[in-house]
Amino acid sequence: MNHKLEKHAQEVPQFGETERKPISMLEVQQPDGRMTSYPPVEHWDDWVEYDSRAWPKKVARNYRLVPTICFNCESACGLLAYVDKETYEVRKFEGNPMHPGSRGRNCAKGPATHNQTYDPERILHPLKRVGKRGEGKWKRITWDEALAEIGAKMRASKQQRKDGIMYHVGRPGEDHYTNRVIKAWGTDSHNSHTNICSAAARSGYFQWSGFDRPSPDYAHAKVILLISSHLETGHYFNPHAQRIIEGMQKGGKLITMDPRLSNTASKSNVWLPAWPGSEPTVLLSFANYLIQNDRYNKDYVRQWVNWEETLEFFVGAAADRLASTERLHAFQSELKKKKERTFEDFDQFLKLTYSEFTFERAAQESELPIERIKESAEIIANCDGRLATHVWRASSMAHKGGWQSARTLFFLNVLTGSIGNEGGTSGNSWNKFVPEPYKHPPAFEAWNELQMPHEWPLSFYELSFCLPHFLEEGRGEIDVYFTRVYNPMWINPDGFMWLKALKDEQKIKCHVALTPTWNESAWFADYVLPMGHSGERHDLMSQETHKGRWIGFRQPVRRTAMERDGKKVKFTYEANPGEVWEEAEWWVELTWAMDPDGSLGVRQWVESEVNKGQPVTQDEYWGWIFDHSVPGLPEAAKKEGLSPLGYMKKYGAFEVPGDVTKPYEKAVDATGLEPDPQGRLKDKEGHVKGILIDGKAKVGFGTPSKKLEFFSPTMFAWGWPEKEYTIPWPLKSHVHQDEINRQKGEMILLPNFRLPTLIHTRSANAKWLYEISHNNPLWIHPSDAKRIGVGSGDLVRVETEIGYFVDKAYVTEGIKPGVVACSHHLGRWKLNETGPGLGSGFASVVDLIEGQNGEYRLKIKKMGGPWKTWDPDTARVWWQDVGVNQNLTHASQPDPISGAHCWHQKAMMVKKAESEDKYGDVFVDTKKSMEVYQRWVGYTRSCVDHSPDGTRRPMWYNRPLKPTKGAYKIPEKPFGR
Amino acid sequence: MNYGFLINNQKCIGCHACSTACKSENQVALGVFRTWVKYTEVGNYPDVRRNFQVTRCNHCANPPCVDICPVEAMHQRPDGIVGYDSDLCIGCKSCMQACPYNSIHIDPVTKTAQKCHFCAHRVENGIEPACVVVCPQHAIVAGDLDNPKSEISREVAKHNVTVRKPEQGTSPKLFYVDGHQAALTPLVTEGRSKHFIWGEVVNPDLKEAHTPEEPVLYFGAAEQMVQTTFNVQHKVPWHWQVPAYLTTKGIAAGAFMLLAAALIYGWSEISPLTRLAAGGLAVVFSLLTTVFLVWDLERPERFLQVILKHQWKSWLVRGAFILIGFSNLVGIWWAAELATYFGLIEATPVWLTGLAIYLGFPLAIGAAIYTAFLFGQAEGRDFWQSPLLPFHFLTQAVMAGGAALLLTAQVVELDPGFYRLAFHGFTIGLSLNLMMILLGEFGMKHPTETASAAAHMIVKGQYKNMFWGGAILLGNLIPFGLALAGQAAPAALLAIVGLYLYEHVFVMAPQKVPNS
Repeated sequence: MNHKLEKHAQEVPQFGETERKPISMLEVQQPDGRMTSYPPVEHWDDWVEYDSRAWPKKVARNYRLVPTICFNCESACGLLAYVDKETYEVRKFEGNPMHPGSRGRNCAKGPATHNQTYDPERILHPLKRVGKRGEGKWKRITWDEALAEIGAKMRASKQQRKDGIMYHVGRPGEDHYTNRVIKAWGTDSHNSHTNICSAAARSGYFQWSGFDRPSPDYAHAKVILLISSHLETGHYFNPHAQRIIEGMQKGGKLITMDPRLSNTASKSNVWLPAWPGSEPTVLLSFANYLIQNDRYNKDYVRQWVNWEETLEFFVGAAADRLASTERLHAFQSELKKKKERTFEDFDQFLKLTYSEFTFERAAQESELPIERIKESAEIIANCDGRLATHVWRASSMAHKGGWQSARTLFFLNVLTGSIGNEGGTSGNSWNKFVPEPYKHPPAFEAWNELQMPHEWPLSFYELSFCLPHFLEEGRGEIDVYFTRVYNPMWINPDGFMWLKALKDEQKIKCHVALTPTWNESAWFADYVLPMGHSGERHDLMSQETHKGRWIGFRQPVRRTAMERDGKKVKFTYEANPGEVWEEAEWWVELTWAMDPDGSLGVRQWVESEVNKGQPVTQDEYWGWIFDHSVPGLPEAAKKEGLSPLGYMKKYGAFEVPGDVTKPYEKAVDATGLEPDPQGRLKDKEGHVKGILIDGKAKVGFGTPSKKLEFFSPTMFAWGWPEKEYTIPWPLKSHVHQDEINRQKGEMILLPNFRLPTLIHTRSANAKWLYEISHNNPLWIHPSDAKRIGVGSGDLVRVETEIGYFVDKAYVTEGIKPGVVACSHHLGRWKLNETGPGLGSGFASVVDLIEGQNGEYRLKIKKMGGPWKTWDPDTARVWWQDVGVNQNLTHASQPDPISGAHCWHQKAMMVKKAESEDKYGDVFVDTKKSMEVYQRWVGYTRSCVDHSPDGTRRPMWYNRPLKPTKGAYKIPEKPFGR
Repeated sequence: MNYGFLINNQKCIGCHACSTACKSENQVALGVFRTWVKYTEVGNYPDVRRNFQVTRCNHCANPPCVDICPVEAMHQRPDGIVGYDSDLCIGCKSCMQACPYNSIHIDPVTKTAQKCHFCAHRVENGIEPACVVVCPQHAIVAGDLDNPKSEISREVAKHNVTVRKPEQGTSPKLFYVDGHQAALTPLVTEGRSKHFIWGEVVNPDLKEAHTPEEPVLYFGAAEQMVQTTFNVQHKVPWHWQVPAYLTTKGIAAGAFMLLAAALIYGWSEISPLTRLAAGGLAVVFSLLTTVFLVWDLERPERFLQVILKHQWKSWLVRGAFILIGFSNLVGIWWAAELATYFGLIEATPVWLTGLAIYLGFPLAIGAAIYTAFLFGQAEGRDFWQSPLLPFHFLTQAVMAGGAALLLTAQVVELDPGFYRLAFHGFTIGLSLNLMMILLGEFGMKHPTETASAAAHMIVKGQYKNMFWGGAILLGNLIPFGLALAGQAAPAALLAIVGLYLYEHVFVMAPQKVPNS
């Protein structure tokens, strides 16, 4: 490698010059009258264009265009890296026109990937802690040292137990690779960020259908109903936003529920700023309108809803629970007498059950103008079976019982028959394609109590954010703890509990932070291992961005470019900045290091099939998958004279052929299958293979009944038999009006909205994004602002149950009175003024003050500002305010069913800051943290008391990695018993 | 070929992708934007909306930035793109004054004027601008407005479109579908909250409320929220050097005009010393004028480009030639006078004195008033575009020249007749100046909101103390009183200080009225 290559991303990039002229595309006439948008694919290997800075001087430069996948939010949009032919520097990232999800377009974060690649504060080499944890003293080590040391620790742990290693992932950025590696270890090691993100929505969707997230077909919808802000936020921002607007341009109507005027709400035909937590009531008033006026798709409901089973419970096991009114009682008695129950009975049951959800009640509970509710109901009633709905975080993740937001929302899809059809809402798995690798390690026989404790048998999934509370209670300890693109102390609620845990070397014996950028938690790690960004790693991704299926291939673009020039690159870190590596190769080498002689039986899973006794290479691994597991890809590659791997390296994405419409309605070959009394078709071993619908064998849904489960027998059986848990019904939120005394100054803190420009704590190395958005003022309605005597820019103190933070007010009519809102990306901090860490333009320097009795305080010592690096731009940073880390003051509030952190906080007091308050002040009493946590644990119903079959969790419920059946047995000594 | 943009606000979701794609494509430094998304919020809960407006150069068919540019750095290409050339630009920032849309900035790297150039380096080879390609919604359409089949032509025809500030006569070629008044017209949100939705407002000028004399209430009741919640924070282009230049130029031109008038009236009676002193004033202050002019250039080392690469339509060029003509002519004559005084030559040639008087006099008038025409080209500063301005500058020159001569008389004994002339020039200039300010520039209702806003800022807003206390009281009323009381020297001194203060508010205030 020459000097220039070694210096990649460590000095202002230089680009070569060519004598050649760009090819002219002026003659190309697009049928739609557009100019040409992208360099044609046939020129990607040799593209010449003029330097924009030198212009109007015509300085031509020569690039190789290498596709990859964005690594910011979870959408997995395509990017096209312009790699200089001479210096291999990446000049810019544009969109990849061959990508079916993003279609060549990106949000602000796509181009800003360049900032992240050329961040002057990147971690360039593996680091090992030398001082005390958190002291900030590091020494550079080699990758071999890191592998040997960490591998040995993993080996030692595995030899003792199967729950000592934990991999805690923030952004997976891929679909199976790491999980497969974890399975290879044979330990229960997967922990995720799901329970601060999507657990509640998953829970609500899964109960209905057996899939755990929605995939709306916005582009063809007549009505789009969002409880979220999908024109600006993840899952899946850019691809979804494209299709929402596309749908609206075709005449589709957009209804958005959000107490805050998000950009999405602002673009809506109808904005419904319901009182947080009242969403299910409003949604059920829509449902009731459809039901009472016979405007729902009865045929669809009759075919696909478990109405027979529901009525069975109504007259049988759940008789007391479901007959809550006198009229229902009378109807129940009548029904009991009947021999045959018909769909008309179910219709009657629905009518009687939901009649209480009038527009008037909805208006009263939601504090919405009744006209808007009526208008929305009428729009929905006219959707013609083309209703696209979506909730992912928002209200589902905000409230105790928030999963009912998803359940009641999807009820509207069920009633209108808008499921899996054009313009409707599909299951994610129908529109996502995860190809199989060459071999799978078997399921492990282990259950890590720190991940899925017995109190939450129905959670989706790991109780990740309560890990420090579990450790504090003495539920266990961790031998090797990997955080991967994850900043738990900053992003989770109750960050000071995390601080305590991360500092405790008895509880977390070894902490390895795998991260592309510095973060607050990595500061407390034992090893900080730099991992690549978008254009610096191998991953395979697919997302349910629309009605269709695709795979996208993330690749290290410099490595690919070098290899195309015939250069040999063994490991990706040879081509990346400094020694920045990638997880895909790292996991292979680490697993090898954990079991160098193969005696643990672990090594075999990362061995090459071609070169026996050697680790599998990335080309072999992905080559196999593209050869064998992606239908249509080998044929498409052959047409181009390429190998399937060559095709993916060239195009970066592939649209998987096939019809994805209503897969549950597909016919099943019923030969050898026997129907049971519920019409489920079973094979000889008793496995359910399909369902009889009107006498025809169909695939059905992933639920035990193979139907859409209106009544959830699982909830009923697992300790939640009451009506409000078994059927779509509102649950009382922890921030219900009754809980918030506005006269006393109490309010709701809505603390979890995203900005279109940032992504959690991973974009604080993107100067162009921070230039646009760098602080997180507290949104407050003028009436509330007047009450507490503040105007925009004035300091406000927000007190939660466990502490407080001080922020600036942003007074706007765009928020519901009684609610204050604060975006959660901003407020990054660091403890050291100089040395390694986040750039000074992106983080304030703070004092972290620890009290005697578990009190913690954060005070800003120095605001953000310009600083000098090789990038002259860092000296041009013109902003100082980089926000407040409000998450530290949030109490951990695990929902008793979904296990989701219920984000909305009861603000005990929102008031004008006191004289001693300074901007950015944070105070938390962790004693109170534990009190609140324990109060929420008290809401749970443990499998120990409620499991119907002696197992920890319904077998049909998903887990990211399912252990063997044996591991499901309730532990002999459950914690706390 | 005639390139233009269409931005469809029905589709725009305010995601800022265009902003970062532009930064990436054109390697735009922090602190400046070639395109940005302005956010405004309008309404009362729950009837409230946030509007997004992609804001950038309009590639005007009639671009004032091109007319004012002294060196053809700003240029209109045959394909309708308004481009720039950083190798030519001297950083005079007059294009920034000419642009009524705040679309031009000084690039921190090259210290030259830059802006959206329609990604000409791509478009020239048929590839769309980076912002068009990145946009998730295809809300930005770029194309040939002359081709009826192009996408942009069809979209423009299909929709009701608006442009920003059509009244400026610039013929913008960026068309908005569903443009919103609160975003299109910058002054609508003036006087309202200046706090951004997720960014810091660091520019103190933005925090000030620059309310027009009669506040514009587009949206009914004053209680209705109308606020700008994201915008780019522009810096003021011209600084103290410009009012200083106006002052020194006035002195130079005025002093020479008075001298020339005296010479015409009876030149033999003007003593050599008086000639030397008055001529010296003109020479020294001409030089100072040049110093100030060059000082405020971002690329001062390129100042000669004004002559070498001159673009004749620009009043900056015309003015430079007038100034050069004036200062050289007067300089040569004065050198001859000096040589005569010290006996190096016998006498200043008659033809040279004649030339200096008869050519120098109109040149002095030109030097005094050309700036009015330059300001007239500053389409972005309506307040400067005053028909009274040439006469006002002339008056100020006589006043300032007179004042400078009165001060000179403190050290050099001037001919009594000439002294009287200077004194009368000064006092008449003073009273005319006051009249023009109070009855002219500020007495009359202004034709546009922006002019009105600037006037308001001067008379009642940010600059009121400097204006009333400095320019009017200190610079006019007190000197007038002192002059009547026979205290010529202090009167003259105060008048010059007051003139600077007046020029300061006159130059600064209009620059602070937001254009975007």
